[in-house]
Amino acid sequence: MPDDKQPAEPERGQAATVEGRYERIKAAEAARQALLTRPRFSFRTQIFLGFFLAFLFSFGIATSMVITIYLVENKMKFLEIASEYVTEIQQARRFEKNYFLYGTNLQDALEQVYLAKTILEKNSDELLRVAGDKRDSMIIPHLQRYEELLKRLAALESEPDSPRLNQKKKEIEMEVRQHGQEMVSFAQDVMTKEKESMARMVARSRNIHVLSFAVASIFMVYIAYFLGSSLLGTVNRFQGYAQRIAAGDFTPITPIRRFRDEFTELAITINQMLQELEAHEATLVQSHKMRAVGTLTAGVAHELNNPLNNITLTAHALLEDYREMNDDDRREMLGDLVNEAGRAQSIIKNLLDFARESGAQVEPLDLVALLKDTTHLAANQIKLSGIKMEFSATDNLPRVHGDAQQLQQVFLNLILNAMDASPKGGKIQVLVVPADEPNFVAVKIIDFGSGIPEHILGSIFDPFFTTKTKGKGTGLGLSVSQGIVAKHGGRIMVSSREGQGSTFSVVLPITTLPARIGGNMPRSGALS
Amino acid sequence: MSAQLKVMVIDDEPIVGKRLGPALEKMGCQTETFVDPAAALGRLAECEFDVVVTDVRMDEVDGIGVLERVKALSKRTKVIMITGYATLEVAHEALAKGAFDFIAKPFKPEDLRQAVARAAEALGIQGPGAAASQA
Repeated sequence: MPDDKQPAEPERGQAATVEGRYERIKAAEAARQALLTRPRFSFRTQIFLGFFLAFLFSFGIATSMVITIYLVENKMKFLEIASEYVTEIQQARRFEKNYFLYGTNLQDALEQVYLAKTILEKNSDELLRVAGDKRDSMIIPHLQRYEELLKRLAALESEPDSPRLNQKKKEIEMEVRQHGQEMVSFAQDVMTKEKESMARMVARSRNIHVLSFAVASIFMVYIAYFLGSSLLGTVNRFQGYAQRIAAGDFTPITPIRRFRDEFTELAITINQMLQELEAHEATLVQSHKMRAVGTLTAGVAHELNNPLNNITLTAHALLEDYREMNDDDRREMLGDLVNEAGRAQSIIKNLLDFARESGAQVEPLDLVALLKDTTHLAANQIKLSGIKMEFSATDNLPRVHGDAQQLQQVFLNLILNAMDASPKGGKIQVLVVPADEPNFVAVKIIDFGSGIPEHILGSIFDPFFTTKTKGKGTGLGLSVSQGIVAKHGGRIMVSSREGQGSTFSVVLPITTLPARIGGNMPRSGALS
Repeated sequence: MSAQLKVMVIDDEPIVGKRLGPALEKMGCQTETFVDPAAALGRLAECEFDVVVTDVRMDEVDGIGVLERVKALSKRTKVIMITGYATLEVAHEALAKGAFDFIAKPFKPEDLRQAVARAAEALGIQGPGAAASQA
């Protein structure tokens, strides 16, 4: 029966390994593709865009301020001209009044009108700019008409003997008063309107500035918040990844946001690193396993030499005494040969099953059976060291979810450590019991050796920490074991008393918690 | 009869005793085989053996223990150790404690017969053949 089974198993194991690796590479490649296919919107672009928008906004505000100041300046200039002009024409009107009352100052009035005209001409362009077509349609015609009327009055004065002088004067007086009135009131009206318009403009400008300041503040706060939170959020997310990776979960990073940025490259690099790490870890686990195998060699050699010796002795006995023997004796000896050959085969198979590099095959496991296999594997080595091993287990324990080989490696490592710690003639206890917390099973490996000093108890799980002499231990056993157990959603705990011994407890979740175990197990559904 | 070489074989593998018993008897030895070393030690206290062949690694009492006990009971008894995995340490210890020979498993019946013959010679008993002729 073993003949049919044995060649098939290693192949299945190797196929699973190759398939497992392929799956992992595929998952990493899928993650890379997913990371790269998103549209690129880097933080550099976001920062640049934010600052550009802020600049545009401030530029708009500054421009509007300059324009407003320019407009206000114009209005002020216009008001200045207008007020000068109004002063002149008001003076002209005073002289005009004097003339009509006392017959004096007509020339003075004309002079004032000239002055007013000069002001208008001097500022003609500016007036046009600020007053528009009002210059030609209203202001200038009024002034011209007034001047003309005053000139006619002056002409009348120069020929005093003209008939109907007083009547003509009266007619002109009416018109002069009317135009003068209109001229002044129009100018004052325009001035009032301009003043109001300027006040409105200043008020509006002030409002715009206050509003822009508020909007700019909100905008800046938003940009700062948006950039800050997306940067910090991403940094926090990557911190989470780092913790997850440190805990031994090598699932590739998959995209979370819609855009690609600088962190995408980081994610891709981390994914590459994860692949490397995984490969290194597999190598580390395997090389550590081979060390354990090396430690077992003495025991295995002894165990293997016993059936070999039995075969040699029996075969020679057959050769020597074949003729003198009866059929029953011969049959018995041949039976011994077959049995002993089978025994040798199973010893080798046991070791090879453990030593073989295999892909992670996660399945429900009977811990008691697994521990029995493990203690059997170590049994000879332990007997050689003159140490007794006691095994006891609670009946009907629930199964745990895991990789038989990897867990066996953990238990073997702990048993061999216990063996190293035990004195000759000492005892190791292996217990499989329900853990203190519900839904967990505990494997306790207890030795009564030297114990671990309290000051190094905290560092025994650190990589490369060892108390063994150079060449005897790598300091990786407990570190590798803890990594394996953590991947199974469990943990290794230790309690030790110097001089009294140590207890290592491996606590593993039972299979009724598939979601939790699935979440903690790497390489199972990397992209979902 | 008294000149016949008395040999005890101790090995926790039953087949070893089953095969070595007849193999040694063929050369004229009087052989007793034991699977349980404790029982063997009991028998040793009752009766002196010329040669004790013992496995090194056994559960209750190991080969070194047997060697010490034999040497304590009878200085002249020759002890031949057989072992599946000879470390230098064990070999040194065994020889230091007075083991006569050290044979690594797997071995042929003839290897042991030669070792026993050498032990008989050392004891001053004329080879197994001589012992047989004396009988």
